Amino acid sequence: MAAVTAGPDRPRAAPVLGVGAGLAGPVRSEFTKLGSVRSTYWTLILLVLAGLAWAVANCAGEAAHWATTPPAGRVGFDPTQASIVGLALLGQLVIVVLGALTLTSEYSTGMIRTSLTVMPRRGVLYAAKAAVLVAVIGVVAAITSFAAFFTGQYLLRSTHVAATLSQPGVLRAVVATALYVVLSGLFAFGLGAIARSTAGAMAMAYGLLFLIPQLAKALPSAWYADVQRWLPSGDVVNAITRTQGGNAYPDLFSAWGEFAVFGAYTAVLLIIGALLFGRRDA
Amino acid sequence: MIEARGLTKRYGSALAVDDLSFTVRPGLVTGFLGPNGAGKTTSMRLILGLDAPTAGTVTIGGRPHRHAASPMHEVGALLDARAVHGGRSARNHLLCLAQTNGIPRRRVDEVLGIVGLSDVAKKRSKGFSLGMSQRLGIAAALLGDPQVLMFDEPVNGLDPEGIVWIRTLMRSLAAEGRVVFVSSHLMSEMEHTADHLIVIGRGRLIADCGMAEFIARSPGRAVLVRTPEPDALAQAVAAAGGTVSPGSDRDLRVPDLEVSNLEVRGLTEDQVGDIAFAGGIPVHHLSAAGISLEQAFMELTAASVDYRAAQPFSQEA
Repeated sequence: MAAVTAGPDRPRAAPVLGVGAGLAGPVRSEFTKLGSVRSTYWTLILLVLAGLAWAVANCAGEAAHWATTPPAGRVGFDPTQASIVGLALLGQLVIVVLGALTLTSEYSTGMIRTSLTVMPRRGVLYAAKAAVLVAVIGVVAAITSFAAFFTGQYLLRSTHVAATLSQPGVLRAVVATALYVVLSGLFAFGLGAIARSTAGAMAMAYGLLFLIPQLAKALPSAWYADVQRWLPSGDVVNAITRTQGGNAYPDLFSAWGEFAVFGAYTAVLLIIGALLFGRRDA
Repeated sequence: MIEARGLTKRYGSALAVDDLSFTVRPGLVTGFLGPNGAGKTTSMRLILGLDAPTAGTVTIGGRPHRHAASPMHEVGALLDARAVHGGRSARNHLLCLAQTNGIPRRRVDEVLGIVGLSDVAKKRSKGFSLGMSQRLGIAAALLGDPQVLMFDEPVNGLDPEGIVWIRTLMRSLAAEGRVVFVSSHLMSEMEHTADHLIVIGRGRLIADCGMAEFIARSPGRAVLVRTPEPDALAQAVAAAGGTVSPGSDRDLRVPDLEVSNLEVRGLTEDQVGDIAFAGGIPVHHLSAAGISLEQAFMELTAASVDYRAAQPFSQEA
């Protein structure tokens, strides 16, 4: 530890000017940050396990009881939804943690001050973090969504109603489920920027995603029918994962319509978060 | 070069930094002194663009840090050694910082070598001692080979070896022509390192001067001397323009009534030693009393009528 620095022959860094001016350096940096802490791996592993475990349990269960399922139940059964809805619902619970931690872990450790010293252009840092989050969650969620779909359909093969990707709406549902998980991560990322603490961001996320939709159910049913389609709740998941049954959710928008509702909430949070991140003292 | 002009920061009703103007020049170690709560850390945060000033401007190399083209080449800073993600290894911590500015990976290994952390580069930093964390923070500050270096209380919690190491580092960085700006609340620490001092209290500038001038302006600074011939020494010292008072702290290790402690003011320890030697007076002990910054600070501000009128700091202290 005694090696003292710095004589005149102290090695100087290669020219560093200019190289870091764009978004590429900060993006590379955020990949390193995300990839060098364990919490990232734990949350992503949990995401994959949650999506697959649901597909296995739900589809194997349906297959086992298929012989005794009454005709009405068979008609309402959506094999695509059965395999991927778990990834959307459980995956969201998991991925909001990763999304929030992207910024809140920097606040809780104080790392944010170093990050902003080396990259004082805050918009660049914010965009780099969001971009890396989208890329990482996108890849893992897409693989998990397809894996959950194929696993589920394999387990449902004895029912002879297993879906294929070429059927109407199926590919859309599988892709939208992955994108929904990505949006959920961004949703929490925006909350992280607003709350600047993990606990605060989590409380806000669960409040917005679960508590408020739950409270809305206490409204008179005629009102609720008008409000329901605008809530960022599990109904969004129902809409985007459904491939059969035509007008199964008459009070909701179409699949992409509900997706857009959730996307709009996410966009608003990301913008508020960006404005606050740019202005507040770090 | 760091230039602050009318820098002011208000948090709610509290004025943390009040109309501060100063210039920190290259080639010197500039000490940034003030009691705890004087606004040193806030000033550094303003310099780095972490906080936005309520009024005034501060620039590094002529522009606000938020507009730096190559931020890590402009400034390297160590504000809080513990402000790292403890789950990340030392190398990955430095790598993610380096990548933001397109600094090559080999520079990470270089700075790990400079601060002596090569052996623990792959260890997660949560297991680091405070001294190791300080070294990691300094490595991060050095990554971009910056023109300006800022250290906030860098010797806090360091062992003697670490303190010597960081002093040597700061001296050599300044000798390379860099700006070295280091805060401390300990006058004694600055005496060993700084060429120039910027002293603040309650957010306001109190002194911006060379170290020698600052010490000369501190009437509280004394030389402690122990001699078996106190009367002879007192006379000789008085003749040379110094003032003498009985030393307050008796040395219990030498319960010799013939030996007296004296406090000499107005002369340096070198001068007192020379006077004793010239007069053939035996001296058993001679040292500069390490006055606390608080003392020097209080005395300095008390001596300044302007300041006293503007800032009755004893009221709230």
